[in-house]
Amino acid sequence: MMRDTMTSAERMGAVMKGEKPDRVPVIPFIFGHCALVAGQPLACVFDNPEASFKVQLQAAELYGYDGTPLYAYASAGGWEFGGDVEFPYKKYSGATVVTRHPAATEEEALNLKVPEDITKAGALPLALEMARLQMKHHMPVTMHIGSILSWTGSVIGEERMLTWMIRKPELVHSVLDKVAQFQVKVAEHYVKEFGPEPIMAFVGAATESNRLISPKQFETFVLPYVSRVNQSISDLGVQVFFAHICGEQNKNLKLWQKVPFGKRAVMSFGREVCLKTAMEMFPNSIIAGNVDPSLIQEGKPEEVLDQARECIEMAKYHPGGYVLMSGCDVPPLAPPVNVFQLIKASREFGRY
Amino acid sequence: MAKTEEILERLKQCVLKGDDQGAVSAANDAVASGIDPDKAIMEGLVAGMGEAGALYEQGEYYVPELMVSSEALYAGLAILQPLVLSKGTNTKKGVVIIGAVQGDVHDIGKNLVKLMLQVGGFEVHDLGRDVDMEKFVEEGQRLKADLICMSALMTTTMIAIKDVMPTLRAKVPTAKILIGGAPLNQKIADAWGADGYGESAMDAVKVAQRLMKCAV
Repeated sequence: MMRDTMTSAERMGAVMKGEKPDRVPVIPFIFGHCALVAGQPLACVFDNPEASFKVQLQAAELYGYDGTPLYAYASAGGWEFGGDVEFPYKKYSGATVVTRHPAATEEEALNLKVPEDITKAGALPLALEMARLQMKHHMPVTMHIGSILSWTGSVIGEERMLTWMIRKPELVHSVLDKVAQFQVKVAEHYVKEFGPEPIMAFVGAATESNRLISPKQFETFVLPYVSRVNQSISDLGVQVFFAHICGEQNKNLKLWQKVPFGKRAVMSFGREVCLKTAMEMFPNSIIAGNVDPSLIQEGKPEEVLDQARECIEMAKYHPGGYVLMSGCDVPPLAPPVNVFQLIKASREFGRY
Repeated sequence: MAKTEEILERLKQCVLKGDDQGAVSAANDAVASGIDPDKAIMEGLVAGMGEAGALYEQGEYYVPELMVSSEALYAGLAILQPLVLSKGTNTKKGVVIIGAVQGDVHDIGKNLVKLMLQVGGFEVHDLGRDVDMEKFVEEGQRLKADLICMSALMTTTMIAIKDVMPTLRAKVPTAKILIGGAPLNQKIADAWGADGYGESAMDAVKVAQRLMKCAV
């Protein structure tokens, strides 16, 4: 197994600059798992930025992977617009969930207001605390600003939003517009506080999955808004985007191609999108993925190693660059020896 | 007879197009015309939902279309189902409990499966979402469930299914267990000892039919 000749920061920096690193970087995509391997409550990743920063650093040191700590949660949006959330303190809870959606009726949706002070909206105080830690430690400042449809689903309620797409499309557009306004306000604040250079805009696009919506619905309800938000963020000077294109999105890929993602984008994909397809569709972007998180949870170590090897062999020489990742958030209780197989695969098969 | 066929077709088309008001109107016309309510449900409303499901499998319909189709179906059922129950001829094909597992609040797929099993003649008890795993066991025992359906849409919650399986097998030994959700697959379902796995909501209904050895 090769010895590293670069630090994690050097390795990721090389990929971001389009240069060749010593080996394929690895970001397992673990949040709750970090807390558990550090002996801390899973919820700390979501409700305690200082603890979250610490356990993510500890996990990176333990496993030897290349990602830096970040703050994000899949059900963002609802809390930010005035709804209620519950942190994952209960058994099997893996993430923050919205317990009351702020635009659950037509009246609420019509009267929905864009929060005035974004620094007090929902998880923003926690996200900003994490961002300040990242800045202090010379790490990328991650700014969670999407996806537009996931956030809107969190504001309205996902099932209700999907029904309104047909019954009351104007209401969905109204909320999408307000979410887009909010996301740009968030970006304006981040740029004001941190400057544009250290910022990496993070978009987690799960509700856009073709298991839920059609490419036509993506074109109508997602494309105009995500394009608007991303362009606004780029116009503020933010150069780097990280987009997690979650789940089955093969029919959306041609539309994702139309979305501006700054000067340098990391596009991560789940198992459902073949890495080869991703490479063809996004030749200039860094491609990340896509070991099956269920395999990391339930498979044998050698099975995980084998799938990671396949990913590396397929994508290692992608001109835009490649990062080995899980296809989505690894289950918190995944065996650590399985998580380690990704780092092992990079060292055994990922050398340049 | 021509009028019967016309009304049945209207019921079907209203569900297919998600026209809930049209479904109510057609259901009322079915009652007024003396059409057997069970026939109106199965050959009108359920036929429409079946076609919507087929269009989903073909990639023509997506979840928004299924949602409005199910609303139209429920609207028509509200008129017709009480008449079936009052006739006392409604025989249930089996008792089903269904829910999204502990920690999981995603229930769109679960709700679609519930709907299709209900209209297919099953007695469905919906435990909701974020269901304590002990409740699947308790309700399975209390109701003498024939089929227990558990869904998990997150990699973080799916492990709850694995953990509860031995207890379910011990305490509800005659129940078939069907699981579904994006992070799951057939290999995991087999490894965890489930009787069936549904790749999608529509697929889950077919698997339930196979497990219960009857048509839905």
